[in-house]
Amino acid sequence: MPFKFLPDVALADIAFEAESGTVDGLFETCALAITDIMVDPKTLRNTTQRTIALESENLDRLLYDFLTELIVMKDVDSLLFGRFEVRVSARGTSLSALASGEPIDRERHRLRNDVKAVTMHLFGIKHLGKKWKTTVVLDI
Amino acid sequence: MSEVSWEIPTSYKPGMHVPARIYATKKLLDNMDSGVIEQATNVACLPGIVRYSYAMADAHWGYGFPIGGVAAFDTEKGIISPGGVGFDVNCGMRLIRTNLRYSEVKPKVKELVDLIFTLVPAGVGVKGSQGFTQSQMGDITSLGVRWCAEHDLAWDDDPQHVEEGGYIKGADIAKVSRQAISRGVSQFGTLGSGNHYLEIQVVDPTRYLDRQLAKEFGIVHDDQVMVMIHCGSRGFGHQVCSDYLRTFESGMRRFGIEVRDRDLACLPFSSKEGQDYYSAMVCAANFAFVNRQIIVNKVREAFARVFHRDAESLDMGLIYDVCHNVAKVETHTYDGTTAKVLVHRKGATRSFGPGHPDIPAPYREVGQPVIIGGSMETGSYLLIGTQKAMEETFGSTAHGSGRTMSRTAAKREVRGAELQKKMLERGIYVKAATMDGLAEEAGMAYKDISEVVETMDRAGISKKVAALRPVGNIKG
Repeated sequence: MPFKFLPDVALADIAFEAESGTVDGLFETCALAITDIMVDPKTLRNTTQRTIALESENLDRLLYDFLTELIVMKDVDSLLFGRFEVRVSARGTSLSALASGEPIDRERHRLRNDVKAVTMHLFGIKHLGKKWKTTVVLDI
Repeated sequence: MSEVSWEIPTSYKPGMHVPARIYATKKLLDNMDSGVIEQATNVACLPGIVRYSYAMADAHWGYGFPIGGVAAFDTEKGIISPGGVGFDVNCGMRLIRTNLRYSEVKPKVKELVDLIFTLVPAGVGVKGSQGFTQSQMGDITSLGVRWCAEHDLAWDDDPQHVEEGGYIKGADIAKVSRQAISRGVSQFGTLGSGNHYLEIQVVDPTRYLDRQLAKEFGIVHDDQVMVMIHCGSRGFGHQVCSDYLRTFESGMRRFGIEVRDRDLACLPFSSKEGQDYYSAMVCAANFAFVNRQIIVNKVREAFARVFHRDAESLDMGLIYDVCHNVAKVETHTYDGTTAKVLVHRKGATRSFGPGHPDIPAPYREVGQPVIIGGSMETGSYLLIGTQKAMEETFGSTAHGSGRTMSRTAAKREVRGAELQKKMLERGIYVKAATMDGLAEEAGMAYKDISEVVETMDRAGISKKVAALRPVGNIKG
């Protein structure tokens, strides 16, 4: 799995580390990790699609805003997503994404934790060798 | 300083403006994570802090400030920090009384919990049922429980039994983002998840009961039934915090503020950004008061339906509602002067002593009720504020039991279904939004609530009134 949970980083919350060979892949992996925290992804269908377009001042902020957008869509539109296609601009200050998922179904979805916010704790993208890596700590 | 209070001098690390003070027994101190010491002393380095940086007996690591932390700042020279409030603005506790005895409620606990579970949505992405609109959000978040009273969503005397009379002054919805309003508008009356809960409780004289003091709050029977609610400002408050963390992090450079930890992002309280955050944070705090009020209405409805009596005849009045994640301008006397200060309480409860004008008239002679929630297995406490808290801690005390085990570790130790069964055997009927969430909140993942409460009582900054044990629990 391209992300792993870090149980000892924040006792009351949930942290994970993600990596990918590309920036696009890193964003997609982080999004999948957040979905995995909220729902068993095996119970999620991809029947609804949403496009996301964002601009931010730098790559770190772009990831922060992208993940926050997913949390907002969960609360406002009751949507959870199981598949992501993300394209980050070469400058790392904008993205377009296609998220596929479906509205929350309490009968069919095996729901887990409600993610409420992305924290700044340990947050930041690193380019190490051929890998892009980040740590994300979520407020639960 | 004493057997329950410890001081870390300013020589501990460069840049400390004031000492740090930790309230804990030796046992709690030995088991306290080292992050608390580092974080409390980091807070002591922030501009404009006065007197002490405090960590209460339930303190544990948080983002920037420790949870269980209190810090007061000069309103002219000091800062305001979203990390000193927390993501869940005005997460808090509300305690409702009933005139029912446990013998009457025991056969109905399952029916009550099941009904409340349907009336008070809990878990991932849930929505409330009130049908509020975005255009109402300005009035709701300005007037809090007073707005509820004006719209038949509260009893006449509910607002006075809420901290600050049910609304904090200074709200400005124009300072709240569209995303925060969108997240919040459909979430009134929802419990949320994580460590939030709604609990049917019984007074527990085997652990503690001061019958004379308890009577002041309408507690007249040794087995009287209560309802406790723990939740906050839902997505609205979280979004306010997220939005302003971004603003504050970039704004610090402009004000030349350097902090030891990026989660301590702060700006002068008197700056435009500082004032904007305060106005938005107050909106979120008032949102949380309203959220808990809507939940109370549902609880009253459930009891009325199950007992075929109206809630008034069941005497389901509010004992009190306290914030435990907030920053407020308050007047305090310290170092020989009386001045307004901005008190940050993050995982800490206001604990105003007898005679304080901000305490509602019925309780003014005895002190402000302090509600300290434990884990869903171990029970909770009602306490009162003291004059010593006014003198020592800017009228503040602890808020709960404090986590000691990660969510992952708790799930490794126990499965949700197994815990639910064991709790039922011990007389606690639990209904949870998810079994994973239930396992994560097992009692073993928290500090001993009685030791926390005992510490604060012995330190004299709050005084025990009654212990409460759970008999029914709804876990978000």
